[in-house]
Amino acid sequence: MSPEILLSVAFVGAALTYILGRISSSLRDVFSVLLSVALVAMVALMYGMSGEEEFYMGFLGLPLVLRYGTLQWLFAIAVSSICALSTVFSLSYMRGKERLNFFYFSMFLVEAGMLGVVLSGDLVSFYIFWEVMSWSAFLLISYNRGPALAAGMKYIVMSVVGSVAMLVGILSLYATYGTLGIPEVASHMASASSGYILFTLIIFGIGFGIKSAIVPLHTWLPDAHSEAPSPFSAVLSGVLIKMGTYGFLLIMYVMVGIKAFLELGSGLYSFHYILCWLGAITAVIPTFIALLQNDAKRLLAWHSIGQIGYIILGIALGTSLGIAGGVFHILNHATFKALLFLTVGAVEYRTGGVRDLNSLGGLIKRMPLTFVGALVGALGIIGVPLTNGFVSKWLIYKTLILNRHPFLTFAAFIGTWGTLLSFYKFLHNIFLGQLPERYKDLEKAPFSMQLPIAILSLAVVFFGILPGIPLKVINKIGVSLGFEPLKVSIWGLASETGALNTLNIFTAVLVAGVIVWLIFRAGMKPVPVPQDNNYAAGSYIPRDRYIYTAEFYSPLFRMIRPYLRDVVDEFYMALSKGVRRTSDKLRRIYVGDVGYYVIYIILFLALLIALKIWLKLW
Amino acid sequence: MDRNQIAKWLKEPGKMGQKYSLWATYFCTGCGIIEVPPVITARWDAERFGVIPVSSPRQANLFMITGFVTLKTLKAIIRTYELMPEPKYTVGFGSCPINGGMYWDSYNTIKHLDKYIPIDGWIAGCMPRPEAIFIAVTHLWTLIDKGMADGYIRYRENYRYYRRNQEMVLGKLEWPPLYPVD
Amino acid sequence: MWVKAVEIIVSPILAFVIGLFFMGLARKITARIHWRYGPPITQPLIDVIKLFTQRSVSHGLLFDMGVILSLAGSIALVLFIPFGGICPLESSGGLLVILYLMLLIPLGLALSGGEGANPNISIGISRKLMLSLGYEVPFLLAVLAIMTHYHTISAVDVVRAQEGFRWALFSWPLVLPGLAYLMILPAMLGLRPFEVVQAPQEIASGPMVEYGGKYLALVQIEHALAVFVTIALFVDLFLGGASNPFFFFLKMCVIFLLGMFVNAVFPRFRIEQAVRFLWRWPTALAFVGLVFTLLAR
Repeated sequence: MSPEILLSVAFVGAALTYILGRISSSLRDVFSVLLSVALVAMVALMYGMSGEEEFYMGFLGLPLVLRYGTLQWLFAIAVSSICALSTVFSLSYMRGKERLNFFYFSMFLVEAGMLGVVLSGDLVSFYIFWEVMSWSAFLLISYNRGPALAAGMKYIVMSVVGSVAMLVGILSLYATYGTLGIPEVASHMASASSGYILFTLIIFGIGFGIKSAIVPLHTWLPDAHSEAPSPFSAVLSGVLIKMGTYGFLLIMYVMVGIKAFLELGSGLYSFHYILCWLGAITAVIPTFIALLQNDAKRLLAWHSIGQIGYIILGIALGTSLGIAGGVFHILNHATFKALLFLTVGAVEYRTGGVRDLNSLGGLIKRMPLTFVGALVGALGIIGVPLTNGFVSKWLIYKTLILNRHPFLTFAAFIGTWGTLLSFYKFLHNIFLGQLPERYKDLEKAPFSMQLPIAILSLAVVFFGILPGIPLKVINKIGVSLGFEPLKVSIWGLASETGALNTLNIFTAVLVAGVIVWLIFRAGMKPVPVPQDNNYAAGSYIPRDRYIYTAEFYSPLFRMIRPYLRDVVDEFYMALSKGVRRTSDKLRRIYVGDVGYYVIYIILFLALLIALKIWLKLW
Repeated sequence: MDRNQIAKWLKEPGKMGQKYSLWATYFCTGCGIIEVPPVITARWDAERFGVIPVSSPRQANLFMITGFVTLKTLKAIIRTYELMPEPKYTVGFGSCPINGGMYWDSYNTIKHLDKYIPIDGWIAGCMPRPEAIFIAVTHLWTLIDKGMADGYIRYRENYRYYRRNQEMVLGKLEWPPLYPVD
Repeated sequence: MWVKAVEIIVSPILAFVIGLFFMGLARKITARIHWRYGPPITQPLIDVIKLFTQRSVSHGLLFDMGVILSLAGSIALVLFIPFGGICPLESSGGLLVILYLMLLIPLGLALSGGEGANPNISIGISRKLMLSLGYEVPFLLAVLAIMTHYHTISAVDVVRAQEGFRWALFSWPLVLPGLAYLMILPAMLGLRPFEVVQAPQEIASGPMVEYGGKYLALVQIEHALAVFVTIALFVDLFLGGASNPFFFFLKMCVIFLLGMFVNAVFPRFRIEQAVRFLWRWPTALAFVGLVFTLLAR
């Protein structure tokens, strides 16, 4: 199994899906599921192999190189599994919508682009696949017309700015070193001056930062993720923004190298410390902005930005525990964020498109499996022990404390508490509380939606109880990037400065739970009562009049709302408005009257002649 | 008080627990409620008997109907009584629940509360003093010991009688019957 | 090996007995401060026995499971905290696991209360989570000061480093975080002036309005364990633990009496007053203490 077969299957499969869709829609559905599962299987077969393949492209005499190793395998398996589960989900979610051939074609194009980004071994193919991925994501973000068009426009403008920054970096590398293969550039940069390394890091950092949505480059994400169709939101939040973090790993550790990266700058002003602080701010402020949201998908989108802050904290610190925590959090965030977006999609599907948190409630009685999925996803993103989020956060905290960064740890902890508050609001306003009259007869989610939700929940819990299985792979990645290896056992870590043993935690909670359940059973059997048999100060209040979901944390909102304006977004919007106004004034020189244009030409010629006579410019 | 007789605790812990931890619903019915705050605060301390006021009927097992009962209050009393978990004890406080008391010829009050809610004991007086409340509590302990404080069992077994009386005076009730009525 | 098994079984029972004793002591001391007699010290035990014999109502499966999850979380948490020489599960992640298992307790009650579809429960839960956010800020700063000063994440190492009267509360970088922790102790225990979560007169005891019978009994047991865990954590981190359980219990009594004296005489804050207070003075003290700890190295 070699990467070029994988990529060609992906691209050809995308085109074939569109063609098959023209013939018959059920054929296209079956083919898309088979294609996505086949891609997962092919990536799984590539485990443990590493190497390079070169193809001659004839573009500036540069070859197209495809590299594959453990790091690429981890990202590729995450990409293909999340895309496969989203494809299964969209079988029933997108039923009855229009332009479905286009939807599946774009989904596979995005997946093929992401696989290409991950597997590319030289910067030209990296750039080409990066652009394919960004543009096909734009097509899907604006899929539902209306407000999604503005969201897509914001996304593509910022993404193009990032890609142009990356292009400037690539061109400067080509001009300096004459080659663009990643290993060759890495060996050249080992002897570069620190000024040039800083320039490369910043210019590539802008590109990757826009894609992975770090503060202050994050403003496209809330609109884009909330307006996209839900299965694609799962792919967007789950894996597309992780391509930015893959780029960071590439530029910081593969190309620049650990030693040069950590020594850039001095003391408090080192590049990696400032990047850590950016990560800490990204972990705190968007999490609290998410508290204030009233739209379920916007809340999840702001939390995506927050969790990327954790990943950047882990990666930028530059220790082996940090890399392990950061890369593991990439994998974990893909699972639970996709799970949460898929549950919101299921609720949206059944209630006819309602995502407003203030008008839903009590759906646990009608959609129990969806609730279990949302609960497991929320527990994972909060980081409750026995879920995979806890293990990756534990690693990040431990490395921050042991390297004496208490304020960064404090920022990370406060991010967790903000996550707890906002996910309780999310669960309470959709699933708990009072069931309104109009949703009394809602049906459960269909099977093709329940299957991905169940698989992802099992993954969250499984990786939480047995974290050693992914940690072994991540340990290999850390070693390949140049860090010291960790002592990993199947239940967690075994090291001198405090170990992690999830078996003890799991057994303790399980045994305690069983004992408490037995005590509970020993009491008298309770009487089951319906929802309206409730304490209401001596009255009997019917169902729809006793609802409390709106303004869930209103005293806290009043306190913290003035501090949580998104000033970056306001800045960018003001900038775009200023550009628009200036261009509007500029266009008024095109009057439409040929006489004016003749005068412009004569004046400009006079200016040129005057410059030549007086200033002798040329 | 036989609270410190360990043998009795080991023989029937449930009954002893119900005696020495009577949680009263803090439901302020009529004029009698003016006598309750002195009872539960520092002057006549009810907490040493184990009686504390709780705010929710779901947590309570003692219900004191303190004073006259109008039709509006009767609805709330029935609803609160049905929310309480079993075993529960009710005490009629003052002379109005017994036979109408001062309002014996009013069109708006209930004269015999016993027809709508089962009552375990009465405290006579037009408002009884706090010492009378303590005598009532100790008398209720004796009744619980002998097994004669069975108002809730009577409610469950004669629910059709009680519900018919309630509907006769209040009209059609909005809430469904607590026990199955065929 | 057998000693470990006995420790694991005895720890939660001892924690339960001590917690219940503290709850009874609380009612007795409050009563005596109010110039009345008060119930006997075994009154919470009588309450729990009575509650187990009552038949309550249930609103659904999650209503039951949430309370069970909360109590299971507190019992599991007790096993991780060193208690005067007894610490059953020491080498399993240290203080970080303790801080994260403390999340399970309000989460279990919040999930269970959400299914009892009563607005008082929702208001109570939102107040509880807001108050938790309020006291977590100075609490985390204080715990981080301890972890940075002793350069470890294991609670047993922190206790061992304070042997021989070198208590953290009396060492000059850590006295400010210790005072901040003492100030937020009533908030963590749900005592006045931070009793805003239960607030019987305002929201009909908040999250516990639909609990009766055995649910309320389990919540009382969980409250007893939570009191034990919070005070034991303070004694471990700032007062040097103890070498045997009896001295540990004495230290816990002293701290508990301080909190109880405050509880008996104060009224209740509103939730925004409480959060504003917690984010002002204790946070400032803990922050300055953390800066001192960093500078002391």
